[in-house]
Parts: sequence; C-alpha cells; structure tokens
Amino acid sequence: MKTPIRLQQIAWTLAACAFSAVAAAADAPPGKPLFTTRCGMCHQTNGMGVSILSRRPADASKGLLEARDDLSAEFVYVVARMGTGNMPRISRAEVSDEELREIALYISRGKP
Amino acid sequence: MKQVLPPGMTASQMDRALKAMARVVGDDWVLATDLDRDTYLDHFAVDEAAHAAAAAVAPLTAEQVAEVVKLANAHKLPLWPISRGKNFGYGGAAPRLKGSVVLDLSRMKKIEFDTENGTALLEPGVGFYDLYDYIQQNKLPYWVSTPGNSWGSVIGNALDRGVGYTTYGENTSKLCGMEVVLPTGELVRTGMGAMTGSPTWNLYKYGFGPAWDQMFVQSNYGVVTKAGMWLQPAPESMIGLDMELENVGDLEWSVDLISGFRRDGLLVQSPSIGSWLRGAAVLTSRKDWYDKPGALPDDVIAAIRKRFGIGWWSISLRFYGYEGVNEAAAAVVQAAFAKKSQQAFKVTRWKQGMPLEPTPFQGFPVTFPLANAAWHGGRGGHIGYSPVLPSNGRAAMDQFRRTYNRYQEYGMDYHGSFSMSERSITNVNQVLFNKDDAEMMKRVNGFFRALVSDATERRYGEYRTHIEYMDLVAGTYDFNNHALRRANEAVKDALDPNGILAPGKSGIWPKRYRNLRT
Ligand SMILES: Cc1cc2nc3c(=O)[nH]c(=O)nc-3n(C[C@H](O)[C@H](O)[C@H](O)COP(=O)(O)OP(=O)(O)OC[C@H]3O[C@@H](n4cnc5c(N)ncnc54)[C@H](O)[C@@H]3O)c2cc1C
Repeated sequence: MKTPIRLQQIAWTLAACAFSAVAAAADAPPGKPLFTTRCGMCHQTNGMGVSILSRRPADASKGLLEARDDLSAEFVYVVARMGTGNMPRISRAEVSDEELREIALYISRGKP
Repeated sequence: MKQVLPPGMTASQMDRALKAMARVVGDDWVLATDLDRDTYLDHFAVDEAAHAAAAAVAPLTAEQVAEVVKLANAHKLPLWPISRGKNFGYGGAAPRLKGSVVLDLSRMKKIEFDTENGTALLEPGVGFYDLYDYIQQNKLPYWVSTPGNSWGSVIGNALDRGVGYTTYGENTSKLCGMEVVLPTGELVRTGMGAMTGSPTWNLYKYGFGPAWDQMFVQSNYGVVTKAGMWLQPAPESMIGLDMELENVGDLEWSVDLISGFRRDGLLVQSPSIGSWLRGAAVLTSRKDWYDKPGALPDDVIAAIRKRFGIGWWSISLRFYGYEGVNEAAAAVVQAAFAKKSQQAFKVTRWKQGMPLEPTPFQGFPVTFPLANAAWHGGRGGHIGYSPVLPSNGRAAMDQFRRTYNRYQEYGMDYHGSFSMSERSITNVNQVLFNKDDAEMMKRVNGFFRALVSDATERRYGEYRTHIEYMDLVAGTYDFNNHALRRANEAVKDALDPNGILAPGKSGIWPKRYRNLRT
C-alpha cells in the first residue's frame, strides 16, 4: 500500500531540500553553475521538469537531467530553444547561445 | 514563426526601427529570427499565434530603456515590456497586440539591499531565485514572498498584483518607490525618490502630493526600471495549522471563521483553501485515474482523495513572529475550529535554527506547481480565472457551486482555490487543458467566457486576466457607461500620445489603436 501524502505536503513539498545556486561547487565544469542558475529552478530538486519527467516515461530515473547519460548536446540545445511538452521555450536574452552550448555540453557529458 | 508586424507597419519600417534599437543595445540584443519570435510565444495559451511578437529588444540599463522608448516613438513601434515574462496562465512573455516588440528586461539584474531596513531596490530581471540566493549568500535575516511559480521576476509579479504565502504575501502592497521610463522616454522616480538622493525612497510610500506607484501596476503608463520591495524579517518562529475538510459544504463555515481572523488581524498571512486536484495534478496524470472524457466523476475523486489522504478542501494556516504570540494566536484559531469540526489540526512548529521547509510558506522559491499542466498528458496549457468575492462563506459557497457546475457542463476537471485577504477573497481557478486534444480545445474559449459572465452577473470582477481576455474583463467594469475606461484612456493619451507602450494592456487602448478593442 502506498503511504498517504498530505495535501499541504503535496502542494508545496516534494523533497527535503530546495535548490539553491549557492550550492554550486567552485571547481565544477563551467556548464554546471550555469545549469544551476539558468535551469536549476525546474531541473534540479523540487523543480517542475523533474516532477514531470519522473512520471512521464514512468521512470523516475529520467527526472534529473544531471544524472542522465542519454542526452546529446544537440538535443538539449533544441529542446531548450524550441520547448517540448510543458517546457516553455527559452529565449536568447535569458540564456545566450554561448551559455546554452556550455550547458548542453555539461548535460550531454560531452556527447555532441 | 515568420515575421509578424503590428497594424499599419511595413517590414522595412520594422527593420529600420530594429536597426536603430540595435545601435542602443548592441546587435546581440535585438532578437528577431524566426526562432527568437517562437521563444516569446505563450507556451500555455490556447492560440499561441494570436499574440506573436515581431521581435524582442533586451536592454541592460535604464538609460538604454529610455533610448529604446524614444526610438519606439520616432518609429511608431508598439513595445510590450516584460520583466522575466513567466506570466504563465496570463500570457507568458507574449504581447497583447500581435506584432509588438517585446521589451525584455530580464538582463537587468541589479540588487541593492538595505539590510537595516529590510528593503531591496531591484531591477526587473531579478528573479525570485536570484533574490533568494542573494539573501542566502549574504546571510541576511529576511524572507522572500514567493509565488507558486517562482521562475518569474519579483518586480514583474508585483506589477501584475501577484501573491505569495507569507505575511508579506500581497506583493504589490510591498512595492515602495519606483524608477520608471514614461512612454515619452522621460525617466522619473516616484514617492520620496523624486527628491534626488533621498534615503527614504524605499521606506515611505507616498512622497509629497499624488502617489503614483500603483499607477504603473497592471497598466501601460510606464516601464518600471527599478522598484523598492519590503521584505519580511525572518521570524523567530512559525506555527503551521493544516486541516483536511471532508465535505464540499465545509467551505462555508471555514471561510467565515478565517474571514473573521483576517479582519481582526489575528491571522496576517493570506491562506488559500484549495480543492483536491491541486496536489493530484502536480503528482499524477489524469490517465492514472480515469480514461474517459468529461469531468471526473465522484468515485474517481474519492479514490484520489483516499490515495493522498486529503479532504475535499485543504486549509493551511501559518503564524509568523514571536513564539509566545504565535502560540496564543494558534490556540484561539484551534478553539474556534473545534466548535465546528471534530477534526484536529495537524500542527507543525518551526523555530530559528531548524531547517526551513522548502515551500513558499517559508519563502522558498518553487516551480513544481507548474507540473500540473501535464495533468492531461499531451502538451499542457492553462489559463487562470480569478474573480474577487466578498469575504464570507455564503458568497464563497455560491461562487463555488456555479463554477463547479460550469466545469461539469464543459467537461473540465475542477481546480479551484480561495485565497483569503483582509476584506475579500480571490477565487483562483486554473483551467487546465490538453493542447493535443482538439475537441477539448474547442470548448475552452466558451467555458472561460461563461465563467466571466457568471461572475459578472453577481457583479464580481477578475483581479487579473490572460492577455486574450483583457478587453472582455475590462468591459465588465461598467459603472456609468465605462467611465473608468474613458478615464484610463484619457490618461493613456496624455502620457503616451503615440500609443507605443503595451497597447491594449488591461483593456486600455491608445487613440492610435482604439479601433482594435474586441
Ligand atoms: C501553476 C502556476 C502557479 C502559479 N502560482 C502563482 C502564485 O502563487 N502567485 C502569483 O502571483 N502568480 C502565480 N502564477 C502566475 C505567474 O506565473 C507568476 O505571477 C509570475 O511571477 C509572473 O511572471 P513574471 O514574474 O516573470 O512577470 P512578467 O511576465 O515579467 O510580468 C507580468 C506582467 O507585468 C507587466 N510588466 C512586467 N514588467 C514590467 C515592467 N518592468 N514595467 C511595466 N510593466 C511590466 C507586463 O505586462 C507583464 O505581462 C502561477 C502560474 C502557474 C502556471
């Protein structure tokens, strides 16, 4: 049997700790801090993207992009600019092409 | 998206205007490719193309904003200012008037923090996450009032009368002093800021003579380039009282009780009473529960509630401040509820030094509520319908019943909440839809219009609306044959003779485009 989850928890609380850019380590690859500040609100702990991706392919392991190894840089770039499902498109004013390339490289672990 | 143009403008005129603006902001910050235009569409809208932008221009400083606005006048080019443009449910980054150029202020990210007074002078690009991180990094004893979608801008949210969930939740009322580029390109400061170098700009709201801050809220009278925000001092303690209400009808007495506590000031936070779908749509998809069209039947609703252990309605009350005061206040509320219901509150206690609960109740920025757009599977979307009611149980119950019946009639799943202010309730209803379901999409417009018409019959107006429905909603404010609209438009024409700033915003059209009112 599944443990009941209280609504006030559901409404606001999905995990024990919130995302904070402060946590980005200084020696991380350049894409990492960029990913945290530009994408982390949805794609790190507690984010909308994590929540949707975890349930959509019915595979919770797909939720955290940083833990995946099946994404190419090209795919990351295209999805960010063109949006997908419930993810809105990200403008160049919000994340420049240069920044997005760094982020895509980081998430794809170097796969073009 | 291929190039779209505002009425009466040719492609070469647009090209000339954008080239002139590029000389101010730099070539990189005029965004005018097909792909750029797509990135300013409203991803959650019923019809994205209806409000497509021609391009975006992204200045870095107030001086650049003023220059761009002057050029817009010279070229008669309509601009649509956004702070971060995450106004999902109300239009995202997209302009009211198709073919406008988005004035994207998201690069303007300066924060000046007055630690002694607990105020922050913010540029529009500062997001809730940015401010939260700034406070953490600098270990400042203040909390941010974050909305359910905190991806956006602190200023942008306050300028659309957005809300958070702490005692400082009415964000627009925490604005204090602005810097604004008027539609002619002149830079003004409001309140005490009108005195050069005044140390009280962000401390006293009114200045001398007329006070204008609210004039720039939900209007098209200026581009805000800086604004002061008051921040809540981190409290010594917090007490949470949470209750699941079993029956639909429990809404009435609980609203009456909370209304009393909001009026007499015992409860300073604006709580929201929400229905069962609020959590279910964030955590699960509809197909997990039901695979037929039409509104969810009662047995499915019962199954959802059972699985999550929730009521028809859920109430979350929060008390902030000194521990002894909170304990006393919570005891009064508990005693009043005990007279109405056998059920006890779930009580949580937090004190300084304990880890924070990662929710807007403690000023954490979040985005996961946006996951509710995936409720139907498919490409999700949502529009918000939010009429303002008097603060009493009868009015809430009556409004709920009519709204619920409309959801049933149009075969949509009810997602409503009642946000309790000191003298009024904002009844926020999310209309969640599936953009890949053509049959459902045909129903959305009629449904929304029926909701507005029901509210108007009771003389309830919306507090905020989607760009597509701004004329509809403005039209319901009809006293003396729409005298306020005439007044708004007289001000508009005086401040913006060329009609370049956000034409049509909040139903206010400049003379030049007035024939476009729908
Ligand atoms: C699931 C979900 C939950 C949500 N929860 C909440 C919530 O709890 N509380 C809440 O308030 N909202 C909520 N929203 C609505 C919305 O997403 C937020 O209010 C968000 O903060 C608005 O986006 P923004 O801050 O980027 O503002 P923007 O989109 O930048 O601005 C909002 C509007 O203000 C005007 N404007 C912006 N900047 C300027 C400027 N500098 N000068 C002049 N005019 C300007 C523009 O017309 C713009 O359209 C929710 C939305 C969804 C989908």
